[in-house]
Amino acid sequence: MSARGIASGEALSWIGAAAAILAVFFLLMLMVGAPVGEALQGFFNGAFGGRRFSYLMTTLSRAALIIGMAVSVMLSFRAGLFNIGGEGQLVAGGLVAALAAILLPGPPLLVLVVSILAAMLAGAVWALLAGVLQLYVGVPLLVGSLLLNYPARYIASYLVAHPFRDVQSGMLQSHLVPQDMWLPYFPGTRLDIGILLIGFVAVGAIVYSYTTLHGYRARMNGLSPDFARAVGLPVTRLALSTLAMSGAIAGLVGAVAVFGIHHRYIDGMLVQPLYAWTGIIAVLLVGMAPWAVPLSGLFFAAVQTGAAGMERAAGVPKEIALIMQAVIILFVATRVSGALLASSERRGADGA
Amino acid sequence: MRVALSGITVRFGELMAVDDVSLTIEPGEIHAILGENGAGKTTLMNALFGLVRLAAGTITIDGTERRWSSPQDAIRAGLGMVHQHFMLQDTMTVLENIVLCAEPVGRLGFVDFATARRRLHEKAETHGISLPLGRQVGALSVGEKQVVEILKLLYRDAEVLILDEPTSVLTPEEKDRLFSVLRSFRAEGKAIVLITHKLDEVMESADRVSVMRGGRLVSSSPLAATSKERIGREIIGGELPSPRTRGEYRPGETVLSVEGLRIASRAGSVGPISFEVRAGEILGIAGVSGNGQAELVQALVGLKRPLSGEIALFGRRLDTLDIAARRRIGMSYIPEDRQRTGLALAATVSENANAGREDARAYTRGPFLNRAAMARFARGLIDRYRIRVAGPHARAATMSGGNKQKLVVGRELARATPLTIAENPTWGVDIGAMDFIHGELMRMRDEGHAVLLVSTELDEILALSDRILVMYEGRIAGEVAGREADRERIGRLMTSRAEALPEVA
Amino acid sequence: MLDLLFDSSFAASVPRFVTPILLAALGGALCERAGVFNIALEGFILVGAFFAVLGSYFTGSPWFGALAAILAGIGMGLIFAEFNLRRGGDPIVVSIAINLLAAGLTTYLLRAIFDVIGAFTDPNIVGFRPIKVPVIESIPLLGPILSGQPILFYVALAAVPAVHYFLARHRLGLRMRAAGENAAALQAGGVSPQKVRLWALVACGMLCGLAGAQLSIANVSLFVENMSAGRGWIAVVAVLLTRGRPLPLFLIAVIFGAVDSFSFRVQGLGLAQQFTDMMPYLATLLMLVGLSWWRRRQEV
Repeated sequence: MSARGIASGEALSWIGAAAAILAVFFLLMLMVGAPVGEALQGFFNGAFGGRRFSYLMTTLSRAALIIGMAVSVMLSFRAGLFNIGGEGQLVAGGLVAALAAILLPGPPLLVLVVSILAAMLAGAVWALLAGVLQLYVGVPLLVGSLLLNYPARYIASYLVAHPFRDVQSGMLQSHLVPQDMWLPYFPGTRLDIGILLIGFVAVGAIVYSYTTLHGYRARMNGLSPDFARAVGLPVTRLALSTLAMSGAIAGLVGAVAVFGIHHRYIDGMLVQPLYAWTGIIAVLLVGMAPWAVPLSGLFFAAVQTGAAGMERAAGVPKEIALIMQAVIILFVATRVSGALLASSERRGADGA
Repeated sequence: MRVALSGITVRFGELMAVDDVSLTIEPGEIHAILGENGAGKTTLMNALFGLVRLAAGTITIDGTERRWSSPQDAIRAGLGMVHQHFMLQDTMTVLENIVLCAEPVGRLGFVDFATARRRLHEKAETHGISLPLGRQVGALSVGEKQVVEILKLLYRDAEVLILDEPTSVLTPEEKDRLFSVLRSFRAEGKAIVLITHKLDEVMESADRVSVMRGGRLVSSSPLAATSKERIGREIIGGELPSPRTRGEYRPGETVLSVEGLRIASRAGSVGPISFEVRAGEILGIAGVSGNGQAELVQALVGLKRPLSGEIALFGRRLDTLDIAARRRIGMSYIPEDRQRTGLALAATVSENANAGREDARAYTRGPFLNRAAMARFARGLIDRYRIRVAGPHARAATMSGGNKQKLVVGRELARATPLTIAENPTWGVDIGAMDFIHGELMRMRDEGHAVLLVSTELDEILALSDRILVMYEGRIAGEVAGREADRERIGRLMTSRAEALPEVA
Repeated sequence: MLDLLFDSSFAASVPRFVTPILLAALGGALCERAGVFNIALEGFILVGAFFAVLGSYFTGSPWFGALAAILAGIGMGLIFAEFNLRRGGDPIVVSIAINLLAAGLTTYLLRAIFDVIGAFTDPNIVGFRPIKVPVIESIPLLGPILSGQPILFYVALAAVPAVHYFLARHRLGLRMRAAGENAAALQAGGVSPQKVRLWALVACGMLCGLAGAQLSIANVSLFVENMSAGRGWIAVVAVLLTRGRPLPLFLIAVIFGAVDSFSFRVQGLGLAQQFTDMMPYLATLLMLVGLSWWRRRQEV
């Protein structure tokens, strides 16, 4: 087969994938008997419209958290570290941010900075825990990091349900953090400046991945762990430092959610919206290419807020977003990231 | 059963792996197919066996043309193949391995092991083969594993037996046993196809010889009608290269010393091993694969922690240091598996070339990479080691096996460390790359570096080594000086320690 | 205090918790042994639980509920096979996507078909009733455990030796082990490893479907969003710990089930619910840590 023949075959199969994804979409619409036109209109309005673009702001606000989690995951995955415990690291960060802001005395700006740093530290520690379990005990990172999600979730839930609960509110949530620590909104919007923080981190992560020695070595480890070890790369240090970065970014995302959006820690606020899992699939969608991760994160945020718009406009359950995300990943990511992931070890570190 | 191949052609993408080959396999004959690595021998047999698709050509068995949709068809038609890498399940028993894919089943699809055992006993007895059917295959020796493979063919009533490089992992004694079994098959009228690149074996046992080169059939004639010299010329397509000239053997100070080294292995433990490598010499470690060489290399390089013993470079203890520290002190490592360990195939040539450098400052500015400096370095390796690749930014996966290996060798030798450990450095590369790599190793030695060459290819060991150690069952069975080495002696050492001891005493 | 925890009703509740983990883990074991890295058991179970309720609701029979769960589980197995085996997608990616798909699909269908959010209960959902086993019933201590359980518990118990014997002696079982250990050898013998793996995924789907049915129409008679609640992951860990061997798997599942049941039990005693909820995961993690540590020592 000629090169052109292969290329057109490739294009055909992409068209096939797109057709399949659309077919699933229309099937789901058909099932609830929703008017397609209104639903689509609702989708675009929900994702990008609204009065004075308020829905667009919601999309961006959500995108910030998803992109943050995606960047966190991307750093780990590229280094061959199957850290799927972003949720635990995110929760640890959010919880510590809220508690530090509420409990620490001092000038608000200083407390805010300290709280954010504490959140990053908490996320890093949670990620390192999984790393240490893999490297020194032999628990596969994939499973270890995932199982650590649950203690984080339940400990946070306990703390805001009992010792640090805002009892008067009647909800499982902490007290509000002092108002002078809230991240300011962009003028005339309900979009906080947390997105700038995340944007800064995302750019940093992209620069890191493509241009630094550490990023290069981490990627060599991701492409072939045996090779990295044999040529004498400091694989243990690489793994731990990468996980720490990953966890710190997840912790930062938690802090942004607290100071920018909810202004307190509410039980389930970081778990239910599946930020961490969406971050993972955002990375898988683009085959771990760093430059594309922010775009992919924005795309999934729009899918989610758009689905909420469809629900408002045409009564389509918004969970259609989850289904469509999964279907897109099945058709797209299995083609894009297959080989990359398959080359790495995933059953835990070996001996020596 | 007579098998006629006619006009067989196999393509892998752009590559013509087998090009218009026609030959006949007669019953009651041992038919050797000879050729270098990559000559297309194995691909031809895979085609006959239904493992690869034919681009053109026909397979005719006893006068009727046949087409296979899967190997199962070929097996049913009476073909059987023993692959170079054994196709066995290590955690299963001998009997389970033999019946797998040809299971006699009873009710509900459960396997009738009793029937299988009975059938097998009859067949094995006629050829004088015995093996404990209940043992786990993983616990068997390499020679015994091969017997399992042969029993698999017997069990399936194969009339045409194809053996791909059957002797590469065998000791001379096991080899003799194999050939006597094959002769017994021949006496029964079975056809045996022997794929090999070892000329001597062919001269001893074949009835007919076919030579392949570059995917084409060069000749096919009865053994009596040809000669060793002629076959040799046909294999390489010209005269044999003259023996390598080497500088005078002037060993210098001790570079690597190993004392009482013991390493854990799957079969228990390897060692204790003690030896030294000195500057200006190539120390060859010979032995049949799986006798502890891999563990030894891993321990020396730092991939595996030894149980006990000392490793020292210039008298400095290494055994507690990590790989990076050992490399800094003065060690380079050419691993056996270039696909996994030698290279990161998805990365670029430049990224692969720079990964092992400890002088990271030479290609960084602060925390950032200096891509231009990296590319320059890679370009240097490409030129010096005559690596055929599009350039420093091409992916490593795009290179041929020989060029991949040259990149690994170049990267490691360019470091010019006092010690180089080379593990099967020419495994599966073409003859040009092999010659080049041998030359580079020899140059290192002549320049006064120490080289530890671990190889299962006896020819390679004999061509390069100043001294030869032979490993058997995890220990050093004996030492032979390179000059006086002869195959017989090394062969005996490769077979058993017990046999070797009296000679040393 | 202690006897309060370990009274007979505690013991009698253990099988309810053992059953779903055991069934799912046996399914996972088949995949593991056949060389399919399936960590989508969570999603398989969730879909099974939903369709069990669906089937039971529309037919009024738990048997049809279980059948629907099995078919849905097989469907999930086929989706996994399509994207992993046929399209060559990475099993981790496929698993993550399938778990999300299951969460989305069940919630979506819950709203589309029953028009409820969160949980669906209805008198039309008929669950499996406990079965009294005549002789065993009167054995002291063991009686209340082994008798008076829903049918799926006995199915799970029978499945342990069945899977074991299947892998040891059955033609397909033998081939599954080969596909997992040295697939190239199986291929060379003329059997497609992918076809064998497809069967493993189908069987896994069936078993996980039943595990879901146990959750939704045996333990209770309702469906709640995300009702599998991490049990699929615990089953994955059980498979990893035992490397997919059915008999040790049984032991592990019993331990997990006991912890699950215990945590349920101590909820009434004033311990914060968060801690009791966390127990099964902590126990899983601790077992994983302990066994990994031990294995590493063995290997050195």
